[in-house]
Amino acid sequence: MSTVLAGYGLVKKYGSTTALAGVDVEVRERDSLAIMGPSGSGKSTLLHTLAGIIRPDGGQVLLRGERSEMGVPPAEGWGRIDRLGENRLSALRRKRFGFVFQFGQLLPELPAEENVALPLMLEGVPRGKAVERARRWFAPLGLEGLEGRRPGQLSGGQAQRVAIARALAVEPDVVFADEPTGALDQNTSAEVIRLLTSVTRASGAALVMVTHDADVAAHCDRVLHVRDGRISNYSQYTVA
Amino acid sequence: MRSPVLPLTWHLTRSAGRRGLQSHLLAAGAAAVGSFLLLVMVAVSLGAGTRADHTTWRTPDAVPAKDATAVQVTTTTYVRQEPVTVVNLAQRPDREQTPAPPGLSGFPKPGQVYVSPALAELLHKLPAGQLADRFPKTKTYGTLGAAALASPDELVAVVGRAPGDAAVAKTAGEQNYYDDGLTKRAPVSGFADTKASVFTGADQGTVLLGVVLLVMPVVVLASAAGRLGAARREQRLAALRLAGATPRQILAMTAAESAGVGAAGALAGALAYTALLPALAALPYGVGGWYTGQLWVGLPWLAAVVAAVTALITVSAVTMLRKVATSPLGVAQQADPRRTRAIRLLLFVAVLLYIWATTGQGGQLKTQQLLALLGLFYGAFWLFGPWVVDRLGRIVGRRAKRPATLLAARRLSDDPRGAWRTVSGLVLAGFVAGFFSVSSLGSEGPSHEGQVAVITANAADARHTAAEARTALHRAGVTATVSVTSEDDFDSLLSGVDGVIADVPGGQERIDTAVTALTPLGSGRYPFTQAYVSAPDDTITARVATVSTATLVLSFLVAAASAGLTAAANVLDRRRVYGLLRLAGTPLEVLDRARVRETVIPLAVLAGGTTAMGAFGAMQLNKAAGTTINTSGAVELVICLAVGALAMLAAITASRPLLRKVTAGPAQTAD
Ligand SMILES: Nc1ncnc2c1ncn2[C@@H]1O[C@H](COP(=O)(O)OP(=O)(O)OP(=O)(O)O)[C@@H](O)[C@H]1O
Ligand SMILES: [Mg+2]
Repeated sequence: MSTVLAGYGLVKKYGSTTALAGVDVEVRERDSLAIMGPSGSGKSTLLHTLAGIIRPDGGQVLLRGERSEMGVPPAEGWGRIDRLGENRLSALRRKRFGFVFQFGQLLPELPAEENVALPLMLEGVPRGKAVERARRWFAPLGLEGLEGRRPGQLSGGQAQRVAIARALAVEPDVVFADEPTGALDQNTSAEVIRLLTSVTRASGAALVMVTHDADVAAHCDRVLHVRDGRISNYSQYTVA
Repeated sequence: MRSPVLPLTWHLTRSAGRRGLQSHLLAAGAAAVGSFLLLVMVAVSLGAGTRADHTTWRTPDAVPAKDATAVQVTTTTYVRQEPVTVVNLAQRPDREQTPAPPGLSGFPKPGQVYVSPALAELLHKLPAGQLADRFPKTKTYGTLGAAALASPDELVAVVGRAPGDAAVAKTAGEQNYYDDGLTKRAPVSGFADTKASVFTGADQGTVLLGVVLLVMPVVVLASAAGRLGAARREQRLAALRLAGATPRQILAMTAAESAGVGAAGALAGALAYTALLPALAALPYGVGGWYTGQLWVGLPWLAAVVAAVTALITVSAVTMLRKVATSPLGVAQQADPRRTRAIRLLLFVAVLLYIWATTGQGGQLKTQQLLALLGLFYGAFWLFGPWVVDRLGRIVGRRAKRPATLLAARRLSDDPRGAWRTVSGLVLAGFVAGFFSVSSLGSEGPSHEGQVAVITANAADARHTAAEARTALHRAGVTATVSVTSEDDFDSLLSGVDGVIADVPGGQERIDTAVTALTPLGSGRYPFTQAYVSAPDDTITARVATVSTATLVLSFLVAAASAGLTAAANVLDRRRVYGLLRLAGTPLEVLDRARVRETVIPLAVLAGGTTAMGAFGAMQLNKAAGTTINTSGAVELVICLAVGALAMLAAITASRPLLRKVTAGPAQTAD
């Protein structure tokens, strides 16, 4: 499995707080990586740095298949994304990444299928086609029949599954999920995580997920433990 | 005071931070604007009535001949196109002393002339041959007190006459169709009369017309202010719940806080109104500016308006929060879009038909009826508007190709009432303005500018008077063509009445000179001009024009302010979803464009539609009356609407930095 996204020597400081103190991570194709650790240890900061949401103070984030900026050609076919401007980063996140947040990421007045089709439409896919492509994700995620429902008419677990469909609709290289089941109960959570990992893997995308919950992390190929901005432990599961 | 609610509210309000303070200030500002405008509306409505009451003494009500102690002849003469009201008074020698008229300390003696301050100034400014010679010669003019006047700018003279003077003779009071409200003679015993002057009688009714149209936009503004803190309160609600506060306590806190902010704002507005009274009084309406006291509403009204605005804001804030407080997650969830039903369309059509039927019968409607119809029309629109917005949202939603349009359309059908509220003020103002600016109500009709008319007793008299007129005009240095009119000659100012017409070329000064020179020939009546004949119609037209312009401008400002506030409140309310969308790579411009379209689409369709409807209605009326449309009015209207729409867009765009700020960075939980 080849690496698609990598961060080397990542450092992030907020005033006197050091959120990341030199972290190296590699995310491989179809890989699923869980990031665990105590509260305030730097999990979200790491995810946001890898996803091009915040800029690290030190280190590099490399993405395969990106054009290199002038003067910084790390390797053939790789691009450094931690120095890109806001507009390019935004376009990059839209095209190559998918996101699942804890809650409240769906537009409440849009029916589920349009919420899923929105990123496609932003990419210029004509509306009819975008909606049709969006609908294809509903069956694998167990959402048949809910295409026309609005987020307010969905349960928490259903809404998170719609969010997963939206993250996957653009066929991203990496899906980032920050405590995607943090607002759900145990049973619902397990079901959503099962679908998130399996459907993401089937789509060919890699998954990077922050979680507090060891049961959730157990669904991933690898688990990264973070403490005080450093990787404290690294474990590998073998998933059948 | 054992309840912890108030101290806790105070503590939380103070520790709300900068964003909290900003939204408090904005809400208080909106409350201030709301109470200021409401107070001005009340002031002008009441003031217009008070001011009309000050003119009633001039139009005499006849008393039985045996009770009469004096003769009063009130008439009107024009100088520089402005009306001068002249009240001629003659005490009957054999009767009791007549009481003093308002503004004077005693009943005027023959030869005495009392003038209003504005007239005194004009008499001083203009050559005697243009104005002063229309009155009896006197060394000094007395001054008419404010009690006699509707406005400090009014031109009024009280002239004492001998009982045998031509100015108080029967002929001076002989009525013709064009004298209605302008000239009247009657035996009197005092000045307790009831009929307001033509120049002030319609003031209050027209103001109320504007008030009916403006009240709703102001109410909308106040409730938009109430929504402002909603996002912050929601968060606090969640926190307080965890801390064990009951929903009731939380609602009480919200009520206390928003009432405090609202009352502070409303009081500030009331103070501004009080402080600005002299400036407000300088704004001319109708006969001129105001006496400051006329615009003072009194403490009960002041208190009522402050209380009403405070109540509006509080109720709006509490209802916003109640939706959240009762939902289990503490998150505003609106599962079902609030659909609007087609019954609204039916009701609207029914009301329109009813109005059409009522007004279509011809005949004059009373002001109250007109106001009632306007109110009905307005109400119908409040039913109809959300339905149109809903349809519009669905139609656009079906057709939309771009994400921003789709988002805007879905928002419209999600909350059609909210979208309607934002544009309603403009939509209705647009209708009224469309109607009045294009219709030319009474300003058409035969016009005889440049003519000065003198009425004579009969045809023979007319020939004699014509000769005298030529001499008088020649002596005054005015070149004019003098002709005699006959009973079947309708194409002149006199239209069928025996008399003399002088055609005076060369402008207003010449005409004023001619009127003054011909005054002695009128056997007690002033010669008159076109302005006199069309005074009643022109007065109404002018008042309606002033009020509809003021209404339109104020509606624009108020609507722009509430659109801006609503847009800002929406950004704060939805900062989580906007922020997360931005993190996921949604361009901010798309979200921003959607926000603008959300207002522009209903505004363009509804305001455009109703304005066109108003203009069309006016054109139909004009066609029926055989007159042409008022093109310059239409152009003004279009410019006005364009400027208003731009102001509204600017107000919405003003929250763009806010949108950028609240969606920046990954921290989506902070307020
Ligand atoms: N915008 C910021 N400004 C200042 N400090 C920040 C900011 N964001 C994060 N931090 C700090 O950086 C450290 C790491 O934060 P981060 O959000 O990555 O933690 P986390 O592991 O995701 O915690 P949690 O499990 O609670 O979400 C914390 O000490 C936090 O206080
Ligand atoms: Mg975190």
